[in-house]
Amino acid sequence: MIDPPNVMKLKVCMAGEGAVGKTSLIRRYVLDEYEDRYTATLGTKITKKTVSTKDSAGTPVSVSMILWDIMGTATLRELLKEAYYHGAQGILAVADLTRRETLVDLDGWARSIRSVAGDIPTYAVLNKADRDADRRLPHAEAEAFFRERDWPWTYTSAKTGAGVEEAFRGLVDRVLAWVL
Amino acid sequence: MPADERRAERSGGARVSSFHRPDPAVLVKEALERNADDVDALFVLAALKVQGGDVREGLSILDRVLRIDPAYPGGWLFKAKLHGMQGEDGAARSARRRAEEAEG
Repeated sequence: MIDPPNVMKLKVCMAGEGAVGKTSLIRRYVLDEYEDRYTATLGTKITKKTVSTKDSAGTPVSVSMILWDIMGTATLRELLKEAYYHGAQGILAVADLTRRETLVDLDGWARSIRSVAGDIPTYAVLNKADRDADRRLPHAEAEAFFRERDWPWTYTSAKTGAGVEEAFRGLVDRVLAWVL
Repeated sequence: MPADERRAERSGGARVSSFHRPDPAVLVKEALERNADDVDALFVLAALKVQGGDVREGLSILDRVLRIDPAYPGGWLFKAKLHGMQGEDGAARSARRRAEEAEG
């Protein structure tokens, strides 16, 4: 008889400025859909997805992810940080390769989340990889930024789906290695 | 017109650039005109009231959110914070307990 896998709940907070693609990444990851029209997120949206994986010892683990999609409005961030980030175990930090400032802004988001949730694992993505012609962020600059913070990262495109599964998987693996 | 805005205009979406982000207050107003019980818009309106210095009004709006959706994400923790800001420690503790129940 095969033992049922361990089940763990995992609260992940999306981080990043408005319009970097946080909602679209969740939509692509969970529903495999993409909506071209931009709709700014108001308040908080919660989406759940269960994934099967293995821990570092090779034991099967069923991870029930609770993805918190939070409005990318930095001005309300400090006021709402306890409400949003309490109990978070992982951060998916999202920047937009067509807007250079969204990379630097990630420090503020990560700092805010960590002030509530502690030094939790972070995985970063440079989204909108399908728009390389509009790129305003050199690869080397992104690489240096993420390396300095020890955040693994990848390019993603919520539009095409490229890199999306890898990013969420990468975060889950990092969190599992941290908590187990 | 920058490529970003041309693309958004073609797709019918909002224009998005570092200089042209939607103002939360405008989004809230539009959402509440469509649906006066939009909990997301009410939650953000509560936060905007508090940010503007009116904690009492923010709490009143937040209470409305929690009447409509007692499991609104982060709602009880935000309520706990606002009661704490008002020096209402008992109400803050009670809201924190409700948060633990709501979020398991």
